[in-house]
Amino acid sequence: MAAARPDYTFNHEHLLGIEGLHPLDINHILDLADSYAEKTRAGKRPDPVLTGMTVVNLFFENSTRTMSSFEIAARRLGADVVSMPVANSSVKKGETLIDTAMTLNAMKPDALVVRHSASGGAKLLSRKVDCAVINAGDGTHEHPTQALLDLLTIRRVKGRIEGLKVVICGDIAHSRVARSTTQALHLMGARVHLCGPKTLTPPGTDTWGAESATSDFDKALKGADVVMMLRLQLERMNGSFLPSQREYFRYFGLTQARLALAKPNATVMHPGPMNRGVEIESSVADGSSSVITQQVEMGVAVREAVLHLLAGSRK
Amino acid sequence: MSLAIVNARLLDPATELDSPGAIYIEKGKIKEIRLGEDAAFPDAKETRDAGGLCLAPGLIDLRVKTGEPGAEHKETLETASRAALAGGITSFVVMPGTRPVIDDVALLQFISDRARKTAKARVYAAGALTVGLAGEAMAELGLLAEAGAILFTNGDIPVANAQVMKRAMAYAAANGALVMSRPDERALTGSGVMNAGALAARIGLSGIPVEAEWIGAMRDVTLAEQTGCRLVLDQVSTPRTLEIAAAARARGAKVYTTAAAHAFFFNERDVGDYLTYCKVNPPFRDEETRQGLILALKDGEIDAVVSAHDPQPPEEKRLPFGEAAFGAAGLETVLSALLSLHHDGPLTLLEALAPVTIGPASILGLPQGRLAEGAPADLILLNPGKPWLCEREDLLSRSTNSPFDGRRLQGRVMKTFVGGELVFER
Repeated sequence: MAAARPDYTFNHEHLLGIEGLHPLDINHILDLADSYAEKTRAGKRPDPVLTGMTVVNLFFENSTRTMSSFEIAARRLGADVVSMPVANSSVKKGETLIDTAMTLNAMKPDALVVRHSASGGAKLLSRKVDCAVINAGDGTHEHPTQALLDLLTIRRVKGRIEGLKVVICGDIAHSRVARSTTQALHLMGARVHLCGPKTLTPPGTDTWGAESATSDFDKALKGADVVMMLRLQLERMNGSFLPSQREYFRYFGLTQARLALAKPNATVMHPGPMNRGVEIESSVADGSSSVITQQVEMGVAVREAVLHLLAGSRK
Repeated sequence: MSLAIVNARLLDPATELDSPGAIYIEKGKIKEIRLGEDAAFPDAKETRDAGGLCLAPGLIDLRVKTGEPGAEHKETLETASRAALAGGITSFVVMPGTRPVIDDVALLQFISDRARKTAKARVYAAGALTVGLAGEAMAELGLLAEAGAILFTNGDIPVANAQVMKRAMAYAAANGALVMSRPDERALTGSGVMNAGALAARIGLSGIPVEAEWIGAMRDVTLAEQTGCRLVLDQVSTPRTLEIAAAARARGAKVYTTAAAHAFFFNERDVGDYLTYCKVNPPFRDEETRQGLILALKDGEIDAVVSAHDPQPPEEKRLPFGEAAFGAAGLETVLSALLSLHHDGPLTLLEALAPVTIGPASILGLPQGRLAEGAPADLILLNPGKPWLCEREDLLSRSTNSPFDGRRLQGRVMKTFVGGELVFER
């Protein structure tokens, strides 16, 4: 783990992806998030560092979980929050993303949390506004706060990230979580192994920081400290990507028997929402190895830290 | 009316001429060429001193999209012509994908009339291969050819149905008509927006695989061989597609190839931070493929280089990459893109000019595109070493979405003549 340096300052304007972050940045965010998580567990209110500030949640894709997580995080820090699920609004009636950005910018928010179906959507928006932009998922590109909450969860459970073997399994090709989490884990010294059907495993995953990509889940699981399952978009199941849900579960579903191939104390993760019986057996999802609920909890803490660092620094 | 251009470096890829000399123009045609530094025509009514600049044939561009009719906010024939002349292009072929589509004689005549009234460049119209470019029924190829359609193409939308394509090619062959097709198996291209590969996967964009082009090319050259149709494979982006064409040619097929000028200049990495100006189809490929294309151009395996001019207004480009329109304005940067290959070493000046002069002229059977006595005096005076900064606000095209925006380029057209008349001067 990279040690914090006395001369370190977090000097990013936006959080658009893990790409561009330094291990020191990640550690800094995780440390702050850790303290927020502890406060919440202790039943204490955090300092209202965002009092008088406005955070706008701009979600072009529906996602109740992530939007709520950001909303709770911003409110805990004292910000005024406007959540705009715009999937069915004027944006769909011909207004472009840039038009929307400029309209919102005129309202002078302090931070925009953006989810968009297009890769690069958050980046495009960040060029047009004066406030901090936090990428809450852009197409199949990045989802940095998900990666950070994954790291925080792992760090709290395992006590470290460096040197761990992490297996990420599922629809790698369409997963922004896989891209961000792989990069973040790699930056922090973990060994990431990707696994999925050949049709859902893209080329060049070594450039994300993965050590290997394979279709042999059993082989990948050997010696794994962490097994992270990805959500499979069910609409792909009977398309040309995969033969059937049954076959997918047979080869890539995480069962108790399969989990036994990993290290005895291996941790099971899933970004949610889960398809039980497709990606993961219920007994594993609800079992003692699973930290899936803790991931949700750490999500709020990470988002508090990120909002604090990006919006709070503009005060 | 006669004009002499003296003190020039005459460049003609058709005859591999590269020599000091002078040209005498009468009634819009090249009357006489004299070689030598002191060559002159004392009897000419007007004499222009080229100041040692290169005098070359005007460029011929096989692929230009305009918005006229139907989307004049993108480009009109007049604005396209203005941009073309500034880029040294004196003749160009308008694609049929206008609104409405150029699939009947009236539309073809409209283009001809508008061009005659508003454009100073020579404008040729391509007819649609199928009605409405829908790929279902062949257009009136005979009547369109009679009305002046110089070639037939389905533009950016390949004819998916092989039977329709085969019949259209057979019918065209019987009429001696030229067919141009974009090799693209759409089932593989899918919703791809950039070159398929590791980079596309990393930045989360769906890819257009090279095999989509190979399979499309194999189908179309096979049909060309079977039907005897003269076929242009439009905007080839990989050396393997050129091999497919060459193999068919070796068996006697009449297959030509073109490539877009920007394909020699950019690679997939230029997409960078989702730069929509770099979203073109076929997409910028990887560096190895780009280098392969350059070698193929040097070896004469690419018959013509096109601007692939496809102007898009800001509302089509100021979008996330995946949602933005394909296409780049290209009329004013073709020559500089090719000259960069000359300045970087692989191509001689004549080799750089051949695919935009005699190459397309030969495919279309046009008399221009060469410095020959009796040929139309469509000429450019070129300073091949002149550096310039491409800034989109300086482009003359109505839509200025250029991947070259902000790039330093070398080589500029200083004067352009069509039929001996000075139509552009810098």
